Amino acid sequence: MVWLTGGALVACLVMIVGLVSMIVINGMRTYWPGPIELVTMDSGEVFLGIPTDADEENARTLYRTGNRDLGREPFRWVDLADVASVERPEDAILLERETWSIWLGVPEQAIEIDASGERVVVAQGSGEVMDYIAANHGAARARRAEIERLKKHELGGIHGRIEAQRLRVRQAELALERVGAERAVMPGAVFALVIVGMVACAIAGRTLGARASYTSRWPRLARVGLYALAGAGAMAVFLHGPWKSAGMTEAKLAVMRADAAEIEADLDVQYEELLAEVRSMEAVDARQRLVVVEPTEGRFAPVRQIEPDEPILLSQIVRVVDPNRMGLGAKLGVYGSRWGEFLTAPPRAANTEGGVLPVIVGTVMLTLLLTITVTPLGVIAALYLREYAKQGVITSVIRIAVNNLAGVPSIVYGVFGLGFFCYTVGRYVDAGPVQSMRLPPVWWWGTVGICLLTLLGSFACAVWSKPIPGTDPSRKQVFLRRVATIGWFVTFFLAVLLIARTPFFSGFFEARAADGSPTFGGRGMLWASLTLALLTLPVVIVSTEEAIAAVPNSMREGSYGCGASKWQTLRRIVLPGALPGILTGSILAMARGAGEVAPLMLVGAVKVNLDLPMSTEAPFLHLDRSFMHLGFHIYDLGFQSPDSQAARPLVWTTTLLLLAIVLSLNLVAVVIRAKLRARLSGPTV
Amino acid sequence: MTYAETIMSEKPSGTIRHVAVDTEPDARPKDAFRVIEAIRRGESVEPAMTETLRNCDAVIDIDTFRLWYGQAQAIHNVSMKIPRGQVTALIGPSGCGKSTLLRSINRMNDLVGGVRVEGKISLNDSPIYAPDVDVIELRKRLGMVFQKPNPFPMSIFENVVYPLRIDGEKRRSVLEDACERSLKAAAIWDEAKDRLKESALGLSGGQQQRLCIARAIVAEPEVLLLDEPCSALDPIATLRIEELIGQIAERYTVLIVTHNMQQAARVSQNTAFMYLGRLVEYGPTADIFQKPVLPETEQYVTGRFG
Repeated sequence: MVWLTGGALVACLVMIVGLVSMIVINGMRTYWPGPIELVTMDSGEVFLGIPTDADEENARTLYRTGNRDLGREPFRWVDLADVASVERPEDAILLERETWSIWLGVPEQAIEIDASGERVVVAQGSGEVMDYIAANHGAARARRAEIERLKKHELGGIHGRIEAQRLRVRQAELALERVGAERAVMPGAVFALVIVGMVACAIAGRTLGARASYTSRWPRLARVGLYALAGAGAMAVFLHGPWKSAGMTEAKLAVMRADAAEIEADLDVQYEELLAEVRSMEAVDARQRLVVVEPTEGRFAPVRQIEPDEPILLSQIVRVVDPNRMGLGAKLGVYGSRWGEFLTAPPRAANTEGGVLPVIVGTVMLTLLLTITVTPLGVIAALYLREYAKQGVITSVIRIAVNNLAGVPSIVYGVFGLGFFCYTVGRYVDAGPVQSMRLPPVWWWGTVGICLLTLLGSFACAVWSKPIPGTDPSRKQVFLRRVATIGWFVTFFLAVLLIARTPFFSGFFEARAADGSPTFGGRGMLWASLTLALLTLPVVIVSTEEAIAAVPNSMREGSYGCGASKWQTLRRIVLPGALPGILTGSILAMARGAGEVAPLMLVGAVKVNLDLPMSTEAPFLHLDRSFMHLGFHIYDLGFQSPDSQAARPLVWTTTLLLLAIVLSLNLVAVVIRAKLRARLSGPTV
Repeated sequence: MTYAETIMSEKPSGTIRHVAVDTEPDARPKDAFRVIEAIRRGESVEPAMTETLRNCDAVIDIDTFRLWYGQAQAIHNVSMKIPRGQVTALIGPSGCGKSTLLRSINRMNDLVGGVRVEGKISLNDSPIYAPDVDVIELRKRLGMVFQKPNPFPMSIFENVVYPLRIDGEKRRSVLEDACERSLKAAAIWDEAKDRLKESALGLSGGQQQRLCIARAIVAEPEVLLLDEPCSALDPIATLRIEELIGQIAERYTVLIVTHNMQQAARVSQNTAFMYLGRLVEYGPTADIFQKPVLPETEQYVTGRFG
């Protein structure tokens, strides 16, 4: 038996270790600069290639030949039988370019184009060109980065401000269409009365509440009634606010249009100035060229595919590697710099090159957001289920249902998230309820009244249904309790109805939605994290319930014995005691959420979005944006890539990164938990 | 009909049968277990109680108190007065209802589902089971120490001032003064003063129990309820707690439940002997242990029965 159980464990361990080591080995070796070989075939054909895979059985080698802009396959299987000779020329170099992947060739010239358009050769031959690159490459790259920054941030910023003006006017136009339709103007006196009544209700409610007891339950009811009245008053004041009552007028709109036009004209001037600056910088940038010739056809790397006679710009080259001449130190340098780029740069060339920074940011942010959302929700739900709910058939059914939720395929959550969060809630946030859903104001206020009545009624039933402690509830009280439960459901239903069909809310991003470009009404970070929060909710609920149940009853009794109320006991004794367990639940939820891909494909993960969901521009967190996610990125690299051979090693690297991120997130949580545990339990226990 | 009227109108369950208490010494062997036998048959008995205790200045006045766990009755018609400023011990075999009675005084039994009570208990003349009693406020007037030391998983300081904290006291100086006073009263100040910030769970069992006593007296309760406070402790820790009870009794009324007869004899001035939910004999400790009225009591305190 020992052998059987031990064997099973060993089998598990071997599988896990095998998986991890395969990912680590493959992931780590991706960025090692391999040698460039000059292959001469029996047919007389010559080409440069990097051996990437060997097929011993069929005696053939896979060479990465790059140079895709010549219209050739970037990878090529070569039968060793057809090869005449293989050498490793010292001067062969590898260009990592911003577009069209790598170029293999021999550097021949460095060219600078002077003011008159003449090409001046500034360096001749491999050695000189390499020196020229070493001397000028950094500056050229920095200039290009500056150009990109100007284009994206400065020009983009001006563009954004112009767009904001347009949206402001559009918003005003929409408001003008609505004026008079539903916004009745409340006279000032009524206003003042409502506000005074509101404040009076709130104060009276506060003073009354303290007098409640088992013999006189009216104060409790009166307090809730007064609070509800105050709330309804506040709602009325807010919806008919004097700051809105004047509404939008043609005159105001005209002023606003003129204002917007003026600002736009101003911005246009700025835009042109900036654009001129960018153009001049680009002209400087276009001067430095490199001629790197490949041996097969004697062609040099072009500036772009459609201009084969223009040599490539120095600044278009991300990195120059001459592996055949490099020592171990230099190779390590390249290796490190490639990893650095991978971790800190955005992707390029359809994700097959460059870095994964937006992907990392997207994944980490999503995971943190989902944890932040799911933990309080799950903890509160578990608290109710374990501490407040009467344990019985219903709670058991709920527990079973919650446990089963954990087993629902995650794509189902994706469908739900898309349908409910993105399209229903999101569109509501964007533009309010659709026109046909809006109740006439009279009906709506009538429903508010009914809702208040049911609220008070069910509260009254709930208060009067409580038996005196130490006695069993009478039949009347049991009946009242049932009525109260039904009443709460009706109230909740009415409240949802009121919100969903209000005629007073037209969304926060009405103008954009009217243009057909949704803000929150589409796929995005917020809805993705909420969907994943829903997905991981069962994990948190179950583990929190266990943690709460594990807090010894003696502690609760001690707290009650000190005169603590139920809530005080929960907050000061039970929750702190259960905190490590709750954190365990959060960690599990985090791990599960970080690894999910399927629902994300529906609710927000995209192939490329270089706009990060967080930035230094207000509002800093852009939860409406779609985002890149490591899990989806791996799928994209492996199966959706235009150059799948080139992307294959990246799949390993990205997988390794995903593992590392999940691991480090978990590690942080585990450390926090261990610290808490140490603080809660003494040094000796 | 109000709650109180309901209680008054209902008849106590079972008829009270007066069992003649035989005080003749030579009659004892013959009738040795008459009261106990009667209780076992489920009959009510009139407890043997001294006149002074019947008419004493009572902090807690228990009057025909009855309690049910669901259908099972755990306490039958117990009436007794706990005299002010003294230590009163409740003894009796396991399951006799002494802990239940103690927990009824601060209504800890409310936390158990299906508990029903009848009869009256008053604390300094205010009824405990009246309908408009705020249980939370009631518990604040009583301090309670449990069988197993149950310090909270927080620092020693926070443990001691917990009752003040939940009362909303925030002033640091007040909390610190109360903590020091209370820890000194519970004879643990010297051991704990340098580690107030450390977790209370790092203390030994005896220290933890003294900490719990400090916590129970920090809010100046009217009565201190001790529920077998030494049953989880070693003899030396037990001894220290007993000394402590003696000191505390100078300022507080103490009601202690104990399994340990010697302990009851050492720490208490009055002792009540309970059996199967009924009060059997209640008198000054010296009398109970040296010349009890009932032979059963003598048998029990000498360890020959129970």
